[in-house]
Amino acid sequence: MNKFIPAAVGIALLLEAGAGHAAQLHVTVKDLRGKPLSNAVVLATPVDSKAAAHARGPADAVDQVDKQFLPYVKAVYTGSKVWFPNNDNIRHQVYSFSQPKQFELPLYAGTEAPPVLFDKPGVVVLGCNIHDWMVGYIYVSETPFFATTDAAGAATLEDLPSGEYLVRVWHPGMQQAEQSTIKRLNVSAEETASVEWQLAVKPSLRVPRVSGAANPGYP
Amino acid sequence: MHYRGPSSTATLITCVYAILAIGVPCAARADWNIAAEAHVTHDNNVGNAESYSDIVSDSIVGATLSVFDLFPIGEGYTLTVGADLNGEHYNRLTGLSNATAGSSVALKKKWGLGAFVPWARIGFSLAHSDYDDDYRNATIYRGTLAAGRRLDERWNLWADYSFERSNAASQPEEVSGISGDAFSESSNNLGLHVEYSVYTNTYLNLAALLRHGDIVSTGEGSYQILDSARAIAEDPAFGPEDYAYRLTGTTLGFKAGVNYSPTAHSLIGFDFRRFDTRAYGGNDYTKSILEITADYAF
Repeated sequence: MNKFIPAAVGIALLLEAGAGHAAQLHVTVKDLRGKPLSNAVVLATPVDSKAAAHARGPADAVDQVDKQFLPYVKAVYTGSKVWFPNNDNIRHQVYSFSQPKQFELPLYAGTEAPPVLFDKPGVVVLGCNIHDWMVGYIYVSETPFFATTDAAGAATLEDLPSGEYLVRVWHPGMQQAEQSTIKRLNVSAEETASVEWQLAVKPSLRVPRVSGAANPGYP
Repeated sequence: MHYRGPSSTATLITCVYAILAIGVPCAARADWNIAAEAHVTHDNNVGNAESYSDIVSDSIVGATLSVFDLFPIGEGYTLTVGADLNGEHYNRLTGLSNATAGSSVALKKKWGLGAFVPWARIGFSLAHSDYDDDYRNATIYRGTLAAGRRLDERWNLWADYSFERSNAASQPEEVSGISGDAFSESSNNLGLHVEYSVYTNTYLNLAALLRHGDIVSTGEGSYQILDSARAIAEDPAFGPEDYAYRLTGTTLGFKAGVNYSPTAHSLIGFDFRRFDTRAYGGNDYTKSILEITADYAF
């Protein structure tokens, strides 16, 4: 029965877009030197809360490939279940200490692990207890309108009902507060809107993966 | 007391490892890992000599291939069983060129989840080194205790202690009443290590090292070293007139290096090590080592 809900929502959205009410928002995110920033999450919150009566798919996934989380940053809608399939030929133990969702999956291979429900908005930092260098982020969005920037620092928010939005951006390395990035703008089906940010980001320090013979951190 | 030679001890321990390597996978699923390392080293005092005329420097090229199996075996415990092959070529002192085959087993405990919790590790390794000049061939046993904590993404601290025993075949007595077993050594080693990440892919490492135990010093010799030597043997790898003297001494050392990861799987390192040794009865020497390493983890 649940499978019919997103399908029904999708049909409704298509009808809505076909009726000429859906808009697009093009986003570009760069650092202070003008270099494109990938893995930035852009979120649009409608000022009119009725417009947020929109839904995303109920399940999503963060993969583990070559002892890395893939994607590095994943944005999901509040209430989503996320699967953590392991495509490595070794086992992983995924965990998070973050306030919006604290969890610990047992050691597993393949798709043995059950999905995790992300029911509170905020940033969830992922790690693997066996491979200390593995880090990933899940941004749990309170708004259904979001997208993640690609290697060119670009993203497009689709199917936005026409109206006024508070748009903001988050990046794992950003030095400023997320709330300070809020911009207010109108989008309409007649015109594609665009918005750009330049963020101060710090280098993303990570636990070294190859540590040399002298370092006993791993194994 | 019955003497058990290096080969029989090696066989015994190899059997223990074989049982572990076969037995543990039956109890728990294994996660194989392979790593390779290559290095170019310059040692300005290979023979640990005090006298200027005895000091010989050399450049060494080496490579190591390691295979290890990781067994998470319960609440915070990980058992590692590994084996490695290592080869070193000395540019001038070719008799010191060697091949080493070794294996190791270690148990690591993490107190909590994640990268930033305290950990401790106990390990044991066994290796056999085969030199171009056979008289240096040795079986090496090492027991290690290590503990540390990564404070954050920038700082990583740990300390280790190891006891190392190297058993080589005894050589003919050169001086009446003094053993010819000059290439067998025992030592206690202590290290304090700090790593500091400077950029995303670059980190610095610093270490303070303390070693106490046997040292082997090679040279033409003096009355002073003859008096304090516990064993003496010919050491033709250095020259026809050279002898190896086994002494007891204490070494203080430090290491400073920088490491850069060009890719997620690789690491290039450059480090400098300096050692200052004081031997009982004299024969004090210093040694500096420069090394460039390249590591790749599959």
